[in-house]
Amino acid sequence: MVFRIFFASLLLMFLSFGSLADGDVAQGEIKAETCLGCHAVTGYNNVYPTYHVPKLGGQSAGYIASALNAYKNGTRVHGTMHANVANLTDTDIADIAAFMSSYKK
Amino acid sequence: MYRLILIASVLLSNSLMASHHEQVEDVGLTFEDKLAACSACHGVNGDQPLMPDYPILSGQYQDYLEVALKAYKTGRRQHMIMNMQVQALALTDADISKLAAYFASKPGLIGLGE
Repeated sequence: MVFRIFFASLLLMFLSFGSLADGDVAQGEIKAETCLGCHAVTGYNNVYPTYHVPKLGGQSAGYIASALNAYKNGTRVHGTMHANVANLTDTDIADIAAFMSSYKK
Repeated sequence: MYRLILIASVLLSNSLMASHHEQVEDVGLTFEDKLAACSACHGVNGDQPLMPDYPILSGQYQDYLEVALKAYKTGRRQHMIMNMQVQALALTDADISKLAAYFASKPGLIGLGE
């Protein structure tokens, strides 16, 4: 039973990908301009509550896309992030994700 | 690998049987067990995610990882697997701080301004 539940959840994980289109890094760099206002400021903080704005350089593209979609559809709650992603298309999200995942010092 | 699958299965079954308690209950897991559960999907150092849409944790700010875990705990972030894991592992605030510190200390993510 336990194993059946485990494999069922594994299956759900695979199904949850949807299509992970490869984004365009160069386009992503242009589209990420607004993101850089916070995410490219080393040590920058979110306020109320206070915590560091996360590092995104080298992050997996699939995760960036998943997180942006979650801010967009409200399964993650964050006012500023929601406002910034509300009008992004799937292509925009894929491009931004490609840029961030490929980012190196 | 089988040990990890076993741990994951136990966690999943625990979470399915758990009722809604405000208090974090002691589920008999050590901190090392809890860390192993994270590592099973994110990699030993948090830099080898099992799936393409799982995040790299290594090098992330400790306080950000704490906020993220707490948001999965309260439901402010909705993610089927993470909401389930955080509950099944019965993460305390102290666990969350230690887990976040562990993954933050490993080399990995960099800021976009670096």
